[in-house]
Amino acid sequence: MDDRVYPRLVTLLGDKFEVAADLIRPDATLGDLELDSLAVVELYVTLQEEWEIPLDDSAATAELTVAEVARSVAALLAPGKAGGTP
Amino acid sequence: MTDPVAVTGIGLVTPGGIGTEATWAAVCAGRATAGTDPVLAEAGAPVRIACRVPPQEGVRGRVWRFDPATRFLLTAAREALATARLDPEQWEPGRVAVVVGTAAGGVTTLEAQHRKLLASGPGALSPLTLPAFLPNMAAGQLALELGATGPSLQTSTACASGATAVITAALLLRAGLCDVAVAGGTDAMVTPLCASAFAKMGALSRREGDPGSASRPFDRDRDGFVLGEGSGVLVLERTAHAAARTVRPLALLAGYGATGDAHHPTAPHPRGAGLRAATARALAGAGRTPDEVGHINAHGTSTALNDAVEATAIRELYGTGTGPSVTSAKGVLGHTMGAAGAIEAALTVLSVARGTVPPTAGFTAPDAATAGIDLVRAAARPQRVGLALSHSLGFGGHNTVLAFTAA
Repeated sequence: MDDRVYPRLVTLLGDKFEVAADLIRPDATLGDLELDSLAVVELYVTLQEEWEIPLDDSAATAELTVAEVARSVAALLAPGKAGGTP
Repeated sequence: MTDPVAVTGIGLVTPGGIGTEATWAAVCAGRATAGTDPVLAEAGAPVRIACRVPPQEGVRGRVWRFDPATRFLLTAAREALATARLDPEQWEPGRVAVVVGTAAGGVTTLEAQHRKLLASGPGALSPLTLPAFLPNMAAGQLALELGATGPSLQTSTACASGATAVITAALLLRAGLCDVAVAGGTDAMVTPLCASAFAKMGALSRREGDPGSASRPFDRDRDGFVLGEGSGVLVLERTAHAAARTVRPLALLAGYGATGDAHHPTAPHPRGAGLRAATARALAGAGRTPDEVGHINAHGTSTALNDAVEATAIRELYGTGTGPSVTSAKGVLGHTMGAAGAIEAALTVLSVARGTVPPTAGFTAPDAATAGIDLVRAAARPQRVGLALSHSLGFGGHNTVLAFTAA
């Protein structure tokens, strides 16, 4: 997995979504972080924009873990798949 | 005449500062807040000056969900409830109403998301677009934050919206539909679209080289208003309800009047007929006569037409002798649009409660159209104000007048 993604996701969850740092673990679901359905989609849209990747927000649910979200982003950042970084 | 409504709390977020005391200090000092606005400048708006709310450092509380207009409102409401010594954990939620006025809703969000739609397509849109920009959502979000489950609604009468919210809240109280009403106005219209649209109408001051003197209500050289933003909130209750809580009101809302000009989409009636009729209704509701009015917080936008019409209406109502003192806060705060009526209502309450009338910043000399009124100028004036009116006028021919008396 692209090792830039997880730390950035943690920062984003803390800064924009105001999730307490001690709640954020790789195996925590977005629901555990108290993100509701709108917030989950907003997270995906934010990641799409930041990483300039076609992340599919129709697949976004509160059951996904932080690590799974990070893996989805990283997969799209693989060489030849997508462009920029924040 | 009916029982007056108690104003037990106020909260303000304005270009003068975050909080009632910061705003009151700026207005009483006549300290203009207009400056070159980076957002308008970057967008190439035809007028690039505005009055912005200063940044709120370290503000949390799901702010990412809200348009700036809603953020201002939530902050102002928290202050108003604290002033009123009301704790949402303690009150009966079904007896608390939330009424909020806005001219434009979450237009900052709407414009930003529209830019994304054009640049990147529908997939780039935030799922929060609608909850952030729908014109009713400031009231909806405030009710949610407070857990208030009484009537919750939004009023829209352009630049009278905040005052219309206060009247609507008073009506709900008097109808027995609530015991407490959190009433206010909010807008965040310093955006490229709004600035450009107002400029196209010729409504904005073009004094970009000297922003501090651009907003000059009633002044001979006024050339338009300066866009502002912010929020004002009043907590209203029946006097008996406030008394039962042993809370002393800041002032009483003794009467109010609302009329429509049915004259022109944007221009006020040339002799202020609607404003005068609204004043008559407010005074009748308060059981008072024009000679008892001590002070008027004018709409006073700094546009050629508004100030001339308002001065005409005041002269015709009170004569040119020792009529009420008149001031406009827009020399300091700019025109905060749908928030203005609520912000200025709060300032009027403070004038009644504190015996001080703020000056009209930016004013240097009257012209024939604005002469003959007792405009407070240069410095705040100590004045015992027994009865004060707050005027609000809006595009669409809306006129509202709120009458406040000492508690």
